[in-house]
Amino acid sequence: MTSEVGSPAGGRLVGRPLPRREDARVLGGHSEFLDDLHPAGLAHLAFVRSPYAHARVLSVTPPRGAPGLLAVLTARELEGRTRPLPIQSPEGSEVADEPHPLLAAGEVRYVGQPVAAVVAESRALAEDAAELVGVEYEELDPVADPHASDLELLRWRRTAGDVEGAFRSAARVAGGRYAMPRLVAAPMEARGALAYHDPAADLLTVWCSAQDTHRPLRHLGHVLGRPAEQLRVVVPDVGGAFGSKGSLAPEAAVAAIAAIDVGRPVKWAEDRAENFVAAYQGRGMEAEVELALAADGRMLAVRARILADLGAYLLPATAMPPHTAAMLMAGCYTIPAADVRVSGVRTNKVPTGPYRGAGRPEAAYFLERAVDDAARALALDPVELRRRNLIREFPHRSPLGWTYDSGDYRRCLDLALDLAGPRRAHSDEGLVGRGVAMYVERAGGSFEAARATLEPDGRVIVRSSTSPHGQGHDMTFAQIAAERLHVDPGDVVLEFGDSALVPGGTGTFASRSVAMGGSAVARAVDELGKQCVQTAARLLDAPEDEITWGEEGLAAGDGRTLALPDVAAAGPLEATARFESDLVFGSGAYAAEVEIERATGRLTVRRLTAVDDAGTIVNPLLAEGQVLGGAVQGLGECLAEEATYDDQAQPTSASFADYSLLTAAEIPPIAAEFVESPSPLNPLGAKGIGEAGAIGTPAAVANAVSDALGGRHVDPPFTEEKLWRAIGE
Amino acid sequence: MEGDRRVKPAPFEYAAPRSLEEALGLLGEEAKPLAGGQSLVPLLNFRLARPELLVDINGLSELARIRRGDDGVLRIGALTRQSELERSELVAAEWPLLTQAVRLVGHPQIRNRGTVGGSVAHADPAAEVPVALAALGARFVARSPRGGRTLCAGDLFVGPLMTALEPDELLVEIEVPPVPEEAGCAFVEHARTAGDFAIAGAAAVVVPARHAAIALLGAGPVPVRASDAEGALVAGAEPREAAALAASHIGKGPRRALVAELVRRALEEAAR
Repeated sequence: MTSEVGSPAGGRLVGRPLPRREDARVLGGHSEFLDDLHPAGLAHLAFVRSPYAHARVLSVTPPRGAPGLLAVLTARELEGRTRPLPIQSPEGSEVADEPHPLLAAGEVRYVGQPVAAVVAESRALAEDAAELVGVEYEELDPVADPHASDLELLRWRRTAGDVEGAFRSAARVAGGRYAMPRLVAAPMEARGALAYHDPAADLLTVWCSAQDTHRPLRHLGHVLGRPAEQLRVVVPDVGGAFGSKGSLAPEAAVAAIAAIDVGRPVKWAEDRAENFVAAYQGRGMEAEVELALAADGRMLAVRARILADLGAYLLPATAMPPHTAAMLMAGCYTIPAADVRVSGVRTNKVPTGPYRGAGRPEAAYFLERAVDDAARALALDPVELRRRNLIREFPHRSPLGWTYDSGDYRRCLDLALDLAGPRRAHSDEGLVGRGVAMYVERAGGSFEAARATLEPDGRVIVRSSTSPHGQGHDMTFAQIAAERLHVDPGDVVLEFGDSALVPGGTGTFASRSVAMGGSAVARAVDELGKQCVQTAARLLDAPEDEITWGEEGLAAGDGRTLALPDVAAAGPLEATARFESDLVFGSGAYAAEVEIERATGRLTVRRLTAVDDAGTIVNPLLAEGQVLGGAVQGLGECLAEEATYDDQAQPTSASFADYSLLTAAEIPPIAAEFVESPSPLNPLGAKGIGEAGAIGTPAAVANAVSDALGGRHVDPPFTEEKLWRAIGE
Repeated sequence: MEGDRRVKPAPFEYAAPRSLEEALGLLGEEAKPLAGGQSLVPLLNFRLARPELLVDINGLSELARIRRGDDGVLRIGALTRQSELERSELVAAEWPLLTQAVRLVGHPQIRNRGTVGGSVAHADPAAEVPVALAALGARFVARSPRGGRTLCAGDLFVGPLMTALEPDELLVEIEVPPVPEEAGCAFVEHARTAGDFAIAGAAAVVVPARHAAIALLGAGPVPVRASDAEGALVAGAEPREAAALAASHIGKGPRRALVAELVRRALEEAAR
């Protein structure tokens, strides 16, 4: 079997910009997404959702009957059979016991919260019947503004070094208050689940539009009190997630109960209107940041108070992004002392959760805006201020407790400045600004696993615990496996996304697939390769150390060869590997040039430069694609995106009529380059690239906007209205 | 089969009349005409619009024509697709303002389905076509079983998503008078992203010292003619002055600045 890329056996594959082999299927429309699944006897689920941000639920009355109606589930039907979703608590934090109920019992706390579920013969009939469910509410006062909330759901603080002393002795203290609005992840495919319960085997199978199989499996086990052996989670093709499909949706758990109750497959395919109000949102954080600075610009200490608008409940990962933001508040600088606090408060909005970057864009924005404000206060060039404080030696232990494994921050900065080109001056029509921002991000950590099997036909099947939803795992992992096994990538078959097939892992999130999943693949195929050599040595009656890999397969010192099918015929060869490591830390430097139209305040991003160091890059083409995609989402955050609510906590941007995503027309030229400082923590030297663009872009654009405005600060999105007012000030 | 029914709206009856007379007989308080569906179908799917009857007028090909009469008036059938208007050589040559405006409606896929009459009858305050038609002094022909009537833009558009059309009336044709010879025209707008709803916009038709028509998008709930700015322009005002006058009815703030800038640009472009 030969592949299109025609790589010579034994040649380098890692580092080559090979096009994704999965594209033909995806672009040809042959993907199979959740809503493409139509098993026989399928019933459909629709939800009755709260129209109020805060209310007591006095009663829920199912209709006496409706066309095609099969069942109505309310909190009463779930009582005693389910638990709310689990809550993950970050290290060192206090979290409230406020889990998200599957269906509201007694109280609703946000618009869109599921109150009842209706199972019917079609989605349309389920929606028709859902309208007939009578819900009696008694309205309560909602909290829309996190500053007005008196209920903390998350508390965290870490202090290191002599912060007080640093601020006392500082020549200058600079900083400000910086806020990032809530955002909607808006994947092209909304969420969904299809559940079927086989009563004979008591096996519950849930097809789930999710980022991986492990977390839905774990969450379902928790919610249903069901052992893992009686659960199977299958992740079909997924049309984007960006973090928003990392936790099991409460609705998916309800679909599972419904399937058990009606004895038929039940599908919930979320529509866009639901996704806008009920899928967890990202960001929604603000921070007061202060930097203590010596007269020469050395950063002596950082103090930050982060306020997170967490929404109505704690979903499994709601507490994680604020913690990540807090832990990165020393950035890529040698700051000896830090005092960082997080207060995550309850509001009557849909909960927040991880969204591309998940705390890293917030940290970069908070700190890098403060650095620019500090440079202005010191009358220093902001690039020079950064240069004087960059970490140069690795490993580096941040005062907040994370150890940065490797990096070359100065080279990233130099390269970004080279690519950004000369500064331009203001014109009669526009105020021109240039902004630079740096970031350090955590990736990887925990563990992943892979199983590699040599098939009788000589192909290698690799089953990976991480799972793709658009990134390009198939090609990337085939490159890793084929290079190490000296075979053609076309002879490596990747399998993902079925808990019955893949080994257990942690999940696909936090830019961890290559560093963790890829390293597990590397370890598994290395072990399989060893087994192949041992088998060949035995069959050829030659010493193991004489066996070499070649075009024909394995060869002994005297030239006799064995093709892989011959090796496979000698017995089943299979290797499973689990790879575990500490966090790895990618980094980067971004530069943006913006122009603000004086007459109207309209912002145009003229040019964006992205330099990222994600360690070893397996596939530069896909890595660049990840950077561009992330940068475009970051630009969306700057130019247009904001999930808004009125003072009654009613969503006011709950459709694409009011929530704009950028189009190709708004995207400026983006120059993307890589610096490669391999991580010492994994066999590939890899870090993470999936979130980089979304982390560096908003901070760089925000600094450019502030530069254009002569140092005034404006928070994203940079609407013409805000900027017009800022120009007038 | 019922189980395969994948539509999202609340239940409704559906009729596809073969003639205008038949269609008019079906319209009424609880009925909605369905043309391109680019606004109505999302409203149905959100269950915000819940008509008992949808009268699908897509079969009424007599309403899908663009022609110029002997009187020089452009007659656009209400069912004309926006993309037809966009591609019409006659319109591009004689009423280029319409070509410019319709290009800004949504995306090509939307314009392939969306109709000119739908744009008008839906009366979205962010819609481009009604603003261009207001600047051109267009007249709107409506029919009902009771007869027909013709309205000007000022009478037709009464509020956001509201027109003077009665529930049993159907907009059938739009009459656009000839543009004065030597007129320059321009349509400019500001939208957050390409194809998004406009935040503000301006349409201008200008013959130096003789004729000026300025219509504004985003200056109120309906397309607004800036008559004092038009008068000032004919009397010799500079574009910047006229633009400030056009926006002067808007409360002080960013919107006024935006509209003034867009009018200035439209006037300067029209003068070229």
